[in-house]
Amino acid sequence: MSWEITVSGFGGQGVLFIGRLLMESAFHSDKEVSWLPYYSGEKRGGMCTCFVNISDERIGSIFITHPDIAVAMNPAAMKILEPAVKTGGVLVVNESLIKNKTSRRDIKAVYVPTVEASKEVGDESVGNLVALGAVIANSQVVTTTSIIKVLNQILSKDKHQLELNKAALLKGCEYS
Amino acid sequence: MPERTLMGGNIAIAEGAILAGCGAYFGYPITPQNDLLEHMAKRMPEEDRIFLQTESELAAINMVYGAAAAGFRSMTSTSSPGFSLQQEGISYMAGSEIPAVIANIMRAGPGLGNIGGAQGDYMQCTRGGGHGDYYLITLAPSSVQDMLDYTMLAFELADKYRNPVLVMADGFLGQVVESVVIRDRVKKLPEKKWAITGAAGRPKNIINSFEMNPMDHPARIKLILQKFERMKRNEVRYEGLELEDADIVLVAYGSVARSAMTAMQKARLHKIKVGLLRPITVLPFPYQPLSDLAGRGCKFVVAEMSAGQMVEDVRIAVGNRNEIKLVNSWGGVPLTADEIFEAIDLLA
Amino acid sequence: MRKASMDGFEDMVFGKPEVMEDRPTHFCPGCGHGITQRLIGEVLDELGLQERAVCVASIGCTVTAYAYFKIDGLESAHGRAPAVATAIKRCRPELVPFTLQGDGDLASIGTAEIVHAAARGEKITVIFANNATYGMTGGQLAPTTLIGMYSSSTTGGRTVEQAGYPIRMSEMLATLDGPSYITRVSLHNPANVRKARKAIELAFRAQLAGLGLSFVEVLSMCPINWKIEPVKARQWMAENMIPQFPLGEFKCIPEVEALKKGVKG
Repeated sequence: MSWEITVSGFGGQGVLFIGRLLMESAFHSDKEVSWLPYYSGEKRGGMCTCFVNISDERIGSIFITHPDIAVAMNPAAMKILEPAVKTGGVLVVNESLIKNKTSRRDIKAVYVPTVEASKEVGDESVGNLVALGAVIANSQVVTTTSIIKVLNQILSKDKHQLELNKAALLKGCEYS
Repeated sequence: MPERTLMGGNIAIAEGAILAGCGAYFGYPITPQNDLLEHMAKRMPEEDRIFLQTESELAAINMVYGAAAAGFRSMTSTSSPGFSLQQEGISYMAGSEIPAVIANIMRAGPGLGNIGGAQGDYMQCTRGGGHGDYYLITLAPSSVQDMLDYTMLAFELADKYRNPVLVMADGFLGQVVESVVIRDRVKKLPEKKWAITGAAGRPKNIINSFEMNPMDHPARIKLILQKFERMKRNEVRYEGLELEDADIVLVAYGSVARSAMTAMQKARLHKIKVGLLRPITVLPFPYQPLSDLAGRGCKFVVAEMSAGQMVEDVRIAVGNRNEIKLVNSWGGVPLTADEIFEAIDLLA
Repeated sequence: MRKASMDGFEDMVFGKPEVMEDRPTHFCPGCGHGITQRLIGEVLDELGLQERAVCVASIGCTVTAYAYFKIDGLESAHGRAPAVATAIKRCRPELVPFTLQGDGDLASIGTAEIVHAAARGEKITVIFANNATYGMTGGQLAPTTLIGMYSSSTTGGRTVEQAGYPIRMSEMLATLDGPSYITRVSLHNPANVRKARKAIELAFRAQLAGLGLSFVEVLSMCPINWKIEPVKARQWMAENMIPQFPLGEFKCIPEVEALKKGVKG
């Protein structure tokens, strides 16, 4: 089994972070993984993408053109990812910033108001975790338990952020 | 099961150097290798070794020369524009037979170019770049594990031949995070009787690339050239995948070799018999295995993130015997498996 | 020190320093480099540094400096000697590296390396031979060539319009916090040669005491490229170079000042 996942949005939306969570949780399940950040030159606020491979086999390309799972966090990402997702794949759309819908019938599109949902759990800064929750709810790529394990490690020194991230993740799981 | 850990490509070069006993690192910030320098800034002092952020890449390469002359395994890392600045120093090291490791995490050029990954320094890394008759060994990793392993190998080969060795990776490989197996530390470093350690209880040691009597210079160069011939003979390395029955052979290195591997798998699903030859040493280049494949009637697809540089080496190996198709990208844009597959499909 | 190195001359009162090779130099008649290198040799003998000193030669007429000393030595690319010496000292702090650099090497192509080695306070010694010309390449305009002075690339004399002003390296470097000792001496007569020797000894003593970069600028004759005969060249240097490059200490931190009583007259 292998998964190709692309997450894309503005720098600062936590695109790289949720990619990293996916990679690390798969790594702890003894999968082969790769995580590649890909961004424009700006130090802040440019386009930011990350490619995550998860596989039982040796991983080939570290670039992903046709993801099994895509997360579009802004309209520019939607424009690129919507036509690129593999048939049968999942497209998570950040409805808070992206107003258009896909006309594709061969993929599963999930519309998530990440900003509003994130505010509901207490802070608008964790929309990325809401999107990640939606990824997990609509695929079997990793489990919420494994993501929470990684969060516990990474955010062990900041209990407030840890709880916020967990809550946002679980909130995202409601969008299936 | 050996210990696996997640690591970025640039960090794996740093950790590989530490495992290999690198005693001194000198570097200057340049994207996309900054995390390598930053990692060394933290790790080298922890290991009680020398780290210095220098005033320029010029100073860095000359400090590498000084530290290596003092008998330390030493290295620098940089990216393309900085690597250009280091050519003079590399020529001096080759001329004075100083072992050192230089990692070039390539970005797109020419000029300021772009911070995206690229392979446009292939000619510079395989044809010298600096002045004079010299030769290097240039290793081309294609995974984070390779970044660690080849850096360790680079130190070993540098000492074996008393010559600079390059680790040439593209910016994408520098940034990618993958799982790696950490190797054992090199415990015993080679003795260097030629090194600058103070003329105590022995005649003085002199390190130079110059003869006071110009008539002696050709003889000195001849000895170095003989060494280069040994490097060419003994150090060719490559990985072959599914070459046994291949009609079409992909030739690719670095991150492109990974895209090529995916393209190969896709082609095999389409019943096209494709194999992959991935040079591990782009210098010395695996001319012979490519020539043998050409003799068998294989066609070639050369995939690289440059205007077409390695393709010239493949041309040397293949000659006009068989078709060679170049598929490439430039300007800091990755080369994808889809693009490589299309090239295969056109040739099949 | 200064004992006879040749058998059969028991009454000899002056000979080559022990640390120096018994070979003629390649320098032109009347050149200052041979004197400077001999002074270094005397100091290395005096301080017993034959087993610890490292000669970092540079590009220019100092290119083969390592050939004249019985100590470890290496060449360095044009201008980069301070970087090479930095690495050697950091890797092997027990060694005593010194660079020998001319004005083209240090004050032109190598300004970045000397400035940053000085700013970092590297524990190395730099001997800077300033003869206001590119000696090795045939007397072209140097960063230190005087206004109006002939050079093979300013045959009508250096003009400000074309080439700007000569650089005073000692004064510039003395603005930095890193160096412990910066001085300019001259070789134009025996009294000043003796002062130069003292300065070089103090510079090595500063390094041995673990203090920051020590720097001795030596005004040095180049009669061949100046096209002035050797004896007159000394006088010319005193009259023309010293006004542009005044002699004296530009930096001497108290720790170096305290070392002066160890330097013999």
